[in-house]
Amino acid sequence: MRTRDPISESKRASGKEEEPGSHGIWSGTISFSLVAIPVQLVKAVDTGRVSFRMLHNKDYSPLQRRMLCPEEDTIVPPEEIIRGYQTGPEKYIVVTDEELESVSPERSRTIEIIEFIDIKEVDSVYYDHPYYLVPSKGGERAYHLLVEVMRRTNKAGLAKFVLGEREYLVAVKSVEGALSLVTLHYSEEILPTEDIIPEEVKIEADEKRRIKEGINKMRADFDPEKYADLRRNKILALLKKKSREKVLVEAPEIEEVEGKGPADLIAALEESMRKVKSR
Amino acid sequence: MASGAIWKGEINFGNISVPVKLHTSIREERVMFHLLHKRDHVRLRQQMICAYDRQPVPADDQAKGFEVEEGKYVIVDPEELEETVPESSRVIEVHEFVSTGQISAVFLERVYNLEPDGRSKEYTALAKTLTEMAVQGVCTWTMRKRSYIGALHANGRLLRLSTLRYADEVVPAKALELERFSLSEKEIRIASDLINHLSGAFQPEKFKNEHQKKLQGLIDRKARGEKVVVLRPKRLKPTAPDKLLQALEASLKQVA
Repeated sequence: MRTRDPISESKRASGKEEEPGSHGIWSGTISFSLVAIPVQLVKAVDTGRVSFRMLHNKDYSPLQRRMLCPEEDTIVPPEEIIRGYQTGPEKYIVVTDEELESVSPERSRTIEIIEFIDIKEVDSVYYDHPYYLVPSKGGERAYHLLVEVMRRTNKAGLAKFVLGEREYLVAVKSVEGALSLVTLHYSEEILPTEDIIPEEVKIEADEKRRIKEGINKMRADFDPEKYADLRRNKILALLKKKSREKVLVEAPEIEEVEGKGPADLIAALEESMRKVKSR
Repeated sequence: MASGAIWKGEINFGNISVPVKLHTSIREERVMFHLLHKRDHVRLRQQMICAYDRQPVPADDQAKGFEVEEGKYVIVDPEELEETVPESSRVIEVHEFVSTGQISAVFLERVYNLEPDGRSKEYTALAKTLTEMAVQGVCTWTMRKRSYIGALHANGRLLRLSTLRYADEVVPAKALELERFSLSEKEIRIASDLINHLSGAFQPEKFKNEHQKKLQGLIDRKARGEKVVVLRPKRLKPTAPDKLLQALEASLKQVA
């Protein structure tokens, strides 16, 4: 039920995973009127930092997702992977990357802001997935101008751009000195709610007062760290329990491993593991 | 259960409880492609392979591990994480209420529409109160053996539940380590004018997913054996840093 980053996912699905070391998912230009700024699209969500990893239970080496040709029973390298639209049993029409880009050639390298809006007008049901844009070489000043001006005017830019098989409607806004890009759902994708919303009923003042009192007792400021800590503590407790039963397993040396090293959490874990072990 | 209800639960706080059914809020339709092997056009299958011996690993030989030190793992069953939660719990427990707008968009994951399960009186009273007080409830629940945190909010008479990401899954903007640049007040003023000229109300219906139709058109042309002309993507020339003011002035002239 977790949503994944659709842009990275579509790249991975087409066998074109990001180069290790480069964190950009896409590079191109963001423009408004006659100003064009070279940028890179990067992730704003990274679930891999605190998560479980798939391992081979024979040698405890990490697993990698690859495409397999069932006919030849071989792993297929990215350059041998093509995209096909199915028209019948085992019948496909092959569509190339270049042909895909041709569908909207003006939008495949440029995020063109068509208009600016007040982001508060965008109902959260429209939000799909967040990213950041970072400036590429030479674009830094114009980038910061856009960040600063959107911050002062409280506006967000609306744009469409094409990546792979999809055209994304996006909102670009200023967040803590950076440009945040959120993909939005199209209104035609939003399911109607008429059948769900209950009919208007008369609510007694007493009823509302009771709820209001309940809410007032529980007013707080949103502190996302608190919930992350709760989960971290749960993981920690599980690892402690596990480390009593089992020892650490070690993966063999591999030249290149996908993904990132463990996050800050690890220091805390190591420490508590040591305590557990020394007991 | 009405069509589309995926789960039933009960919102709980203080001595208030509101039974609800969860419905998905989004339906995406798109042209689906499959990945094929270039040589023989055989449809490819996703397979986990061992990074060490490069051999496919069947599901039975896969384990989950938590990396404690580089290359060192504790083998765990992630489902054990959920073991502390009482089984078959239907409780969506609200822990606190925060002002609407405090939860930054980067945390929002997926929105569920809530339908009252049975009587709608408390449901409606809660929706109205949340709107009046401009607050959202931060809650946790376990659905299909997974723990979630979420924001309970109202949209008119409708209650909604958004699942939230954990703070350690979100990349903070400061992690991007962007350098600051000094900007002239003149540039800022002209750019602000420009943005105000280009501003309007958010009208989502205006944006259609025309791309899907165009994509289908491309496939149909290819199916008929027509030749497809490949157009090169248009690349915009970046505005040179010393031409920024000039580009802003010219833009403003165009729209003003």
